[in-house]
Amino acid sequence: MSTNDGTQPQVLGGEPTKSSTYLRDTATSAIQSFTPINKIHQHICAFHFYSHDMTRQVEAHHYCGHVNEEMRQCLIYDSPEKKARLIGLEYIISENLYLTLPDEEKILWHSHLYEVKSGLLVLPKVPSPIHCKDMEQVCKTYGKVFHFWQVDKGHSLPFGIPQLMMALTRDGQVYDHLVQSCAERLGVDIEKERKSREYMTGPDHGIHPLANGGGKGLETRLREVELKHDALPPSSTRASV
Amino acid sequence: MSSTDKSPEPTPASGPEPTPGKPMGIGQHVIDKSAMMVQSLGPIKQISHHACSFAIYSHDMSRQIETHHYCSRIHENFIQCAVYDSEESDARLLGVEYIVPHDIFETMPPEEQKLWHSHAYEIKSGLWVDPRVPELIAMPELENLAKTYGKFWCTWQVDRGDRLPMGAPALMMSPQAVSPGLVRPELVLKRDAKYNISSESLKSSRLEILEPEMINPNADYWKQHGKGAFEQWEPTLIVG
Repeated sequence: MSTNDGTQPQVLGGEPTKSSTYLRDTATSAIQSFTPINKIHQHICAFHFYSHDMTRQVEAHHYCGHVNEEMRQCLIYDSPEKKARLIGLEYIISENLYLTLPDEEKILWHSHLYEVKSGLLVLPKVPSPIHCKDMEQVCKTYGKVFHFWQVDKGHSLPFGIPQLMMALTRDGQVYDHLVQSCAERLGVDIEKERKSREYMTGPDHGIHPLANGGGKGLETRLREVELKHDALPPSSTRASV
Repeated sequence: MSSTDKSPEPTPASGPEPTPGKPMGIGQHVIDKSAMMVQSLGPIKQISHHACSFAIYSHDMSRQIETHHYCSRIHENFIQCAVYDSEESDARLLGVEYIVPHDIFETMPPEEQKLWHSHAYEIKSGLWVDPRVPELIAMPELENLAKTYGKFWCTWQVDRGDRLPMGAPALMMSPQAVSPGLVRPELVLKRDAKYNISSESLKSSRLEILEPEMINPNADYWKQHGKGAFEQWEPTLIVG
């Protein structure tokens, strides 16, 4: 079994950031604008497992911004710390939007009902009334996650191809030690969360049968394809360096 | 099954209109603001660099997009970027790019290296710019970046009209000096006009930037191993 035990991210074999680099970064950030990043307004912690292997489970810290009322887009890190590794991303959409997706797309998305109601998906530090208001929304949504960095395998660099991830759908799936370690670090009482969310309801039409991989594991693979012959840009006049 | 290459069947999820969904209500605004006030958003605050450039789909190089990278540094030699389609407040999150220097790249197995692209041409040709940063200030970082490699997965193909993210992730390549790696001039002109810059003149001012002594031939795989029979990568989802 290989799991992310929630310890500090291991630092890659590289030099620490030089102070000259740090100063330059700071100077640069002072004159640039970060509008899309400033739209990120919340931190959600949850667990993902690999669609083809539920025994591999990862703690995922989501930093999300709303595209509109019915859609969020999230960057996923392996911890809430400054040096956290950006390991993936998630898109979260309303039931209404999910139902417009073609069937072959629907299987790539997962439901959030169990994650919310079990108390396993949390907004660290957010007071209960606000917390519940947002969870009532998230409970009805669907998400699509890809991880690009398999930190649970001990990869010091983001090796390999994107991995489709899924979310928990019933009791007994997630490793207790993962939950406990996470809850302690974030100061969250999962049992209390679970109780406070008992009244919440999922998608109006129920969880779509095609969601969560349609109950099957999905694996990302890579295959080589021929470069398309029409790939030449119509006007390639730029001189080479 | 879902693949990078095949466009999804037409549905309301595709089309020229923007991302579907109701506008933000007051309630959601209140939730968002409240969460933001008490949460620390640690990793997000490390994002300190905005770069604008272009990327090309590895499986169909006629498809080229403008990209906005928002980057943070884990340490001196490793940069991770969230990539958006614009710098506006309605920007869509397209994917993630990782950037490593030559020495780290050289430690990777060859199969892994094939997924990465070089940055020398992109920097030297003036395609990669740091919006609003004077060239003089940007220069030391540009010199570093010219010797790096990147790996960029695109998960939202907005250029083919996907109003919602659909299909498997696509591996992206960097612009290169040879066709089909050349970026369409109209894309560059549009970008240049927005920032009131000229990539052509940046190119002359960046002549002095040193190129890597050797670009590993496993990077830019299509280019090095092309000879008319390019090999490209396409992720496919299969039922396991």
